[in-house]
Amino acid sequence: MFLALLLCYGGFTALCLSMDRHHAELLGRKPSARRRQGMKLSGWLLLALSLWAAVSSTGWGLGLVEWFAVLMLSALLLVLLMPYRPRLALALAGLSLLASPVAVFAKG
Amino acid sequence: MKEGFRQAMAWLHTWAGLIFGWLLFAIFLTGTLAYFKDEISHWMQPEIPARSLSSEASLTLAQHYLEQHAAGASRWLIDLPDAREPGLSVRWQQAPATPGTRGQFTEKLLDPQTGAEVQGRDTRGGEFFYRFHFQLQMPYPWGRWLSTIAAMVMFVALISGIITHKKIFKDFFTFRPRKGQRSWLDGHNAVGVLVLPFHLMITYSSLVIFMTMVMPASILAAYKGDAEAFYDEVFPASNTPDMAGKPGQLAPLAPLLERASEQWSGGRTGSLTVNNPGDANASVILARDGADRVVHDFGSALTFNGVTGQLLSATPKQALPMAIAGSFYGLHMGHFAGPVLRWLYFICGLAGTAMIGTGLVIWLGKRQLKHAKSGVMPFELRLVEVLNIASMSGLMVAVAAVFWANRLLPVAMAGRADWEVNSFFIVWGLSVLHAMVRRGRAGWVEQLALAALLFCALPLLNALTTPYHLGVTLMQGDWTMAGFDLTCLGSGLFFAWAAWKMQRAGQAGVVTRPRAKSIMLEQEAH
Amino acid sequence: MKGKITALPVSYRLAVTSRVLAAVLGGYLVAALASVSLTMWLPLARGEAVVTGMMTSFLVYLVAVLWCFACRSAWQAWFGLIVPSVVLAAVAGLAYWLGH
Repeated sequence: MFLALLLCYGGFTALCLSMDRHHAELLGRKPSARRRQGMKLSGWLLLALSLWAAVSSTGWGLGLVEWFAVLMLSALLLVLLMPYRPRLALALAGLSLLASPVAVFAKG
Repeated sequence: MKEGFRQAMAWLHTWAGLIFGWLLFAIFLTGTLAYFKDEISHWMQPEIPARSLSSEASLTLAQHYLEQHAAGASRWLIDLPDAREPGLSVRWQQAPATPGTRGQFTEKLLDPQTGAEVQGRDTRGGEFFYRFHFQLQMPYPWGRWLSTIAAMVMFVALISGIITHKKIFKDFFTFRPRKGQRSWLDGHNAVGVLVLPFHLMITYSSLVIFMTMVMPASILAAYKGDAEAFYDEVFPASNTPDMAGKPGQLAPLAPLLERASEQWSGGRTGSLTVNNPGDANASVILARDGADRVVHDFGSALTFNGVTGQLLSATPKQALPMAIAGSFYGLHMGHFAGPVLRWLYFICGLAGTAMIGTGLVIWLGKRQLKHAKSGVMPFELRLVEVLNIASMSGLMVAVAAVFWANRLLPVAMAGRADWEVNSFFIVWGLSVLHAMVRRGRAGWVEQLALAALLFCALPLLNALTTPYHLGVTLMQGDWTMAGFDLTCLGSGLFFAWAAWKMQRAGQAGVVTRPRAKSIMLEQEAH
Repeated sequence: MKGKITALPVSYRLAVTSRVLAAVLGGYLVAALASVSLTMWLPLARGEAVVTGMMTSFLVYLVAVLWCFACRSAWQAWFGLIVPSVVLAAVAGLAYWLGH
């Protein structure tokens, strides 16, 4: 579940950054067209990876439930964190992505 | 309604949300608490030790106890201990119940290690919140009907809300605090949209759970009025052989657990029912533990002859429609959830509660602005204000009252379980009176402050009245007790913060300049 | 300014009440009939068809309720429920009659 959470949070942050308004809020300027596309693509990719992570460890039944739970939690965390601690929100996303490969290896 | 589809849906969302919002808030809050009902029960009966042991040993102890104390009963029920509910509970039914009615049960809690009776203080425990959230303390079946009607209105409110929310994708990550009414709406949208999978699941599943009660037309049509035949087909394990009238020695029950596990590919037994123990035709029904898997298998049971041990019947593999219904049931109950997932269920439940609460606040806030200058609120808005305060902060105080009553009422007092429940309703009723007497903001601040006080002080009260306080439970690793105390403390701090914010907002000046236009959102219809 | 409650015309209130009744009662009727029709026509075992019919009925109820408030008049609300009710009743009745 932890790996899925990391990937979800990273994915949502990327999707968030693909939007003009939030990119400007978090990074100070509007994204270029290429940046926007890249963020969107990587965001969806990370979410898909998180689904794989959830289902591969506990099967489709429990895995799907865990994925939705992690999806909702990470979205809530990001949205509630952003207006108060935008840099922390971004830092967490960076950490999540760094920690993901470690989590993959830890799963064995 | 002539103004267009979205406007119509906004109107429907607003009014359905208001009329049923107060009830739905209570249902969601108590239902959310119910996810930790076993833990709540443990805190409310701290005398009962949490000890785990093997199922076989517990079952043997239960059988010995029942053979001694309930030999002539027509039915025994044994609930085996599991990770969250470490108690071994036995029940028996003395006289055979007339068909169709519920028989009188005697229930005893046994120590799973010694088999001796355990006596904790008499209390409903967490079961009170669980039962309240779908029975609403009303006589059978009216409470269930009302809560299911509320669920249908919730469903309508959810869907109409989604339709109304024009910028559902654009505003997906939007939350702008410190902007008055705008922030409340952002918050309402955030806890609504971001947790939408849970809200839709919990709402639709609650309809499915009571569908045989509220939508019986199909049953009656397909079975030509014979509803019993439907239940016999879907729950075949309820057909058990009749009494033979000849005595028979009941074989040891413990070995049946192993056989059941084989049949279920490693699945666990949750409970056993022994029909007509002591009779030659005694039958033992083993029901699978619901925490085994996500999809709840309703009829899943194995029936053995109690004397010979012969397998009489096994319920067939679940058909797809039943599996789907079982999925709804299993997902709603969350029996399968381990500690982490259970906390996530709890958080999602709180989000749903917050969604309803913010909606109620927004409804009033928008209309209050129009009357701010005159300073006098028309009756209907004042009514909404009183109900808002009492149904939200008043409810929180009432919940705290249950826990305070649990610790303050004498352990040996007769009827103390009922009096804990009475405290809930008495305090809730008082909160209505208080809200009527005090001006809006004062009502909120005072009730939230009281809730803060009561919840923060609970761990202290626990320490003063029992030896199971945080100092002890944290050392011993009794995470259930410690977790409860800490959660109460955290909740109390949250209510204190809320009361403080309310107080400050009042001091800054209630009458905000008419920024009506910036608050008039696309969903304004009236 | 007097409370807004007195400012709305009676005809409006009657229309709203009518829509609410249509949604609550008429909606339930359509949902129940849809449930029965589905149950009678689905090529499944009897118990399975019943469970499927009951589970789907709430979606029908939802659509009926949304219709009652989205349509242009209270009359349309009732009409929009009566027509499907008759059709569904006929469909269910046909299955019942064929079944014997």
